[in-house]
Amino acid sequence: MSESIAKYPHPGRTRAIKNFLRQFLGYGGAQLGLICLVFFLVMAALPNILVGPLQTAINATGDFLAPPSGDHLLGTDEVGRDVLNLVVHGARISLTIALLATLISLIVGTTVGMTAGYYGGRLDVWLMRLTDFFFVMPSFVLALVITPVVVEVIGRGQEILGFRPSLFVILVVIGMTSWAFVARIVRSQTLSLKERTFIDRARVVGSSNLSIMARHILPNLVPQIAANGALVVAGAIYVETSLSFLGLGDPLQPSWGTLLSLAQRAGAASAGAWWYLGAPGVCVLTVSLSFVLIGNALDDTFNPRRRVIP
Amino acid sequence: MSRRIGSILIRAIITLLMVAVLNFVLFRVIPGDPASLLLSGARTSVTAEQMAAQRQNWGLDRPLFPDQMVDYLSATLQGDFGYSFKFRGRHVADLILERLPATIVLVGLAQLIAILCGVMLGLYAGWRRGGAGDHIATGASLALYSTPAFWLGMILVVIFSTALGWLPGYGAHSPGAITSSLDWLLDYLGHLALPVTAVALGLIGQYVVVARAAMSDVVTEDYMVTARAKGLTGGQMLMRHALRNAMLPVVTLITLNLGYVVAGAITVEAVFAWPGIGGLTVEALNARDYPVLQGIFLLLGASIVVANLIADLAYGLLDPRVR
Repeated sequence: MSESIAKYPHPGRTRAIKNFLRQFLGYGGAQLGLICLVFFLVMAALPNILVGPLQTAINATGDFLAPPSGDHLLGTDEVGRDVLNLVVHGARISLTIALLATLISLIVGTTVGMTAGYYGGRLDVWLMRLTDFFFVMPSFVLALVITPVVVEVIGRGQEILGFRPSLFVILVVIGMTSWAFVARIVRSQTLSLKERTFIDRARVVGSSNLSIMARHILPNLVPQIAANGALVVAGAIYVETSLSFLGLGDPLQPSWGTLLSLAQRAGAASAGAWWYLGAPGVCVLTVSLSFVLIGNALDDTFNPRRRVIP
Repeated sequence: MSRRIGSILIRAIITLLMVAVLNFVLFRVIPGDPASLLLSGARTSVTAEQMAAQRQNWGLDRPLFPDQMVDYLSATLQGDFGYSFKFRGRHVADLILERLPATIVLVGLAQLIAILCGVMLGLYAGWRRGGAGDHIATGASLALYSTPAFWLGMILVVIFSTALGWLPGYGAHSPGAITSSLDWLLDYLGHLALPVTAVALGLIGQYVVVARAAMSDVVTEDYMVTARAKGLTGGQMLMRHALRNAMLPVVTLITLNLGYVVAGAITVEAVFAWPGIGGLTVEALNARDYPVLQGIFLLLGASIVVANLIADLAYGLLDPRVR
């Protein structure tokens, strides 16, 4: 008996996934976003194979601020480094920072939102007050003042988990300051989910609170978390680019924002070196737009009310 | 209604308090003794006795919590944000007040342009959704929304300043003597044009997206079908029913946005060396001038909290259901 019950969900679930994919991939925006994203993920995964090791002032291969040519498809920077080389290596740094920051933010946001919604009472009030603070204060503003102080505390010495200290701090700070929106949505979903009969059933069977949250509530939150996760990535890229542009990045591991900051300091705009500041900017724009498009498409797919609107 | 305003006010005060406490904590986790940090710029060497005297003078010998924190909070409340490291001996509050007008002009003008263009375009796209104009406006605004405004600024400099030579791309005034006040104003407006465009373009994308979504939601409501059934023309439906309801989320967003706009303008100001809060932020970051950085943080925090307060109160006034 229990065997046959356990088997039922599987065909249903595959069909649901197929339905979801058909609908999701039916959106032009989702297709465009996914194609751009795959392109940049390949860039981020194989920078050394595609353009060779990261160029520095010592092993630079071109003239100073040379416009695009056959040798340097995207021109060179103020010390003769190939801009294509820098941008491809920048993809790895910008994308890892944004994705890891999003992971932190989703974990914190889901934990806070689910705990507040599930337990309710005084815990809910205090957690939501904390959430309100991070909801009101933009991640960029908080990171602007927290990052330099934390970098000073841990020092600018060796790398942490493969990141230069300032980049590691930036990604943790972005993650820890951009979870409020996720927490609010997760909380409101949890509030409605915990009243459903299957939660009562799980409780009657003797499941602990922790196991109810992990095995019954969390799986039902996945759609909301996914749709918002895509938007959190876009936000994280924006914040990282802005912080690095203001000089909080690390020139030894240049992200796209750091490249823009170097271009600004070298006076690329007034020198008319459009290739130097254009390339990293177009990358930021494309990746961030891809995530917004994917997030919107996910939202449209999961949210039946929105589906009517073209 | 008054209970609602009360709880809104309490929330705002708590948020501001948390900003101030964060400032206090951050300053105290910086390695090194604050006294030696503050005295490090002294021209002569500092003896241990002088250091101890200063520590006592500044209250640094008393416990961190609650004594020092209460001192800090009460000083902050009185508008005393301490002294800058970089600009020696200058009050942080003075430095910020000096730079604030330039930022307000930049942000205010950009906000005005963005509201006029963005909201109208968004409402139009939502009203005629699915049409060619809607697709173009939505696509363009999503792209603008995903673009860092400061990068738009750099591109504007390359095109309009470097290549075409039409507008200046640096600072707020041309060097050299200015004869009349009209010349001064024209010169100022010329310098203002590109940074304002950059900030406004960054905002327009967002406003189009929100205004379009608000209008799209309204158009599918039942009362619009009723209005159509009553025999109202498209224009009457738009003016009497659609616009009023669609403006509600738009007004809220614009007010909420006020604080964020100041934060976003920081990077744009850095591109144009605009002499506002953004320029000050970059200088403070490069010199690790923490008191100035924290003063700016407090200012941004306060403007965001105030913007939220206005948005909450305006929402209550605009939407009778909340009352």
